[in-house]
Amino acid sequence: MDNNNLVEKLAVQVESFQEGFEILSKSLTFIEMVKSFLHIIRGNFIITEIYSFHKLANDSKWNNISLKKIPDPSYLSYLIDSDNPSIKYFVDLQIEVSITLPLADKSYLGILIGPKFDKSKFTDLDKITLQILLQVFDSAFKSFLNRQKEKGLVFEFNENVLHLNNLIDTSIEISRYNKRRVLYDIALERVTSLTNASSALFEIVKKSQGNVKKYITFPNGVEPDKILNSKLKIHSSFEHQDRIYTFVLSEKETRHSTTSFTELDQMLLDSIARQVSVSLENEFLHKQALEKEKIEQELNVAASIQQKILPESLPKIEGYDLAGINIPSREVGGDYYDCFDLGNGKYALIIADVAGKGIGAALLVSTLNAALNSYLQFDIPLTEMAERLNKLIYKSSPSDKYITFFIAVLDSNSGELDIVNAGHNPIFLLRKDGSMEKLDADGVGLGMLDFGLPFDGQIMIMNPGDKLFLYTDGIPEAMNDNEEEYSDEEMINFLLTNSEKSSTDFIDSLVKSVKDFAGSAQQSDDITAIMLKRN
Amino acid sequence: MSTEFNLVSELHDKTLVIKTEGYINSAGGEKMVQEFSKHNGVTKLILNLENSKVVNSIGISHLIEIIEKLNQSNGKLVFTNLDPTIEKTFSIMGLFQFADKSDTVESALKD
Repeated sequence: MDNNNLVEKLAVQVESFQEGFEILSKSLTFIEMVKSFLHIIRGNFIITEIYSFHKLANDSKWNNISLKKIPDPSYLSYLIDSDNPSIKYFVDLQIEVSITLPLADKSYLGILIGPKFDKSKFTDLDKITLQILLQVFDSAFKSFLNRQKEKGLVFEFNENVLHLNNLIDTSIEISRYNKRRVLYDIALERVTSLTNASSALFEIVKKSQGNVKKYITFPNGVEPDKILNSKLKIHSSFEHQDRIYTFVLSEKETRHSTTSFTELDQMLLDSIARQVSVSLENEFLHKQALEKEKIEQELNVAASIQQKILPESLPKIEGYDLAGINIPSREVGGDYYDCFDLGNGKYALIIADVAGKGIGAALLVSTLNAALNSYLQFDIPLTEMAERLNKLIYKSSPSDKYITFFIAVLDSNSGELDIVNAGHNPIFLLRKDGSMEKLDADGVGLGMLDFGLPFDGQIMIMNPGDKLFLYTDGIPEAMNDNEEEYSDEEMINFLLTNSEKSSTDFIDSLVKSVKDFAGSAQQSDDITAIMLKRN
Repeated sequence: MSTEFNLVSELHDKTLVIKTEGYINSAGGEKMVQEFSKHNGVTKLILNLENSKVVNSIGISHLIEIIEKLNQSNGKLVFTNLDPTIEKTFSIMGLFQFADKSDTVESALKD
């Protein structure tokens, strides 16, 4: 065949080469591409037997990738190891052509072609056609690799966007759930999916209960030991309250096997673990805030009850000027004062201070008020009443709670004062002539001891122009920002210099004096005072 | 929470309906490809993911393989009963450029 004739025939075949390239390029897999290529060769040369083999780089073994098994393993000897494309033709053998084609991914394609159907030999045109077809396959394979690479890059890019999006979504979802189990499940599912882990585990260890462990696994039903004993795993832990929480991820998946986790996987895991940790911390703080709010509500209720216990106004005593005040330092205080009209011109003035403040103190104040309302209806001696109150308060309160208590029953006609001071601070009787008598405690506070110790009382006479001043320690012990106390001295000085004021003015200006002294410092104790003046 | 992967399938003429359960990972994706490959001539695959709430990238790569095979034969894949998280994942990974979604299997069969 002359050259012109050969070129003409090849020119006719150009279109079929292009079609061949298109068919090969549509292949989704390498195997599919080889299968199509064998069809093209078979059709071009009318071949009955054709076999294909593949060998990876650095692999000495050819793997048969034909649908058909080779009839004789010795056929493999026809394949030539070569780093360059090689086509060998044999005469009078079962195999007529042996092809080795190095591929762009450093692997090798081997093809063995049997005799033609009509037993004719491969012509020059056939040989050139085969050479061109191999180049077509090589180009199609390069194009296939490029497409795979391009798809891989797009996939990788989308996967990174997905990671970022999942992290944001997970963060939002984790902060939204207040049921812990849902929180753990979401975190476990998301981190498994984000890192391509085949399974994952969440471990909770309670330290105070002998390291009792609880496990949650994903997928559900996977044995914890399978994950914990895995060689390919990463973990991330954090502590909250009494517990240690640990995420463990096992075996990162690839398309065909498993591999080690990457630094990015560890970062993603740490990030999710941190989000769960923050969520648990927020839940804890939220609960604390709710409890505080509940306590504040209870304190408000107690305060409103206490406001009803304390007198709205004091009785008017003919021939006397009486005023009193109570300013609690918290919602509910531990100070108490009142003046009961006992009839027949007799009045009981009471001031008391419970050790401590808050609801506990308010309950004792309430008990004292109820008892006084009951006992004062009967004409029993004050010392005996003090003993009864002592027993009652002792039974009603814990050992560290007691009440300092002062009571004076005034006979407004005679000015006689029947007094019992149970552990309260001194009460001052300022005489008209400016002299001052100090009525010290003559018994322990109510509820402090129950040894049957007697309370001693005393009788005094309040003459016209005399003043009786009762107070709790919130006045002399009021503090300023420098932690200095208002002091007994300052209070007595105030009493001496302001005693001519009306009782109401005296109380108001005393409170102002104490508050001016304290300045911006928070009120540290309840302030209670009573001023009784005989006109 | 998801269990390990399982699937059941039904053939309606040239439409294959596969209902999955559990984590769509490498093993899950492979099972779906195998099930799809068993049925030659299928032109429409409906994947009911009602009981699958979690998918990873390897599982998605298997789904892409199925989509490519279907597209080659002018067929199509329809996802149904998608969990919002999975729907967002597929959307970001670009699966809805080559596959459809429908609320239920019944509506996917009608389309």
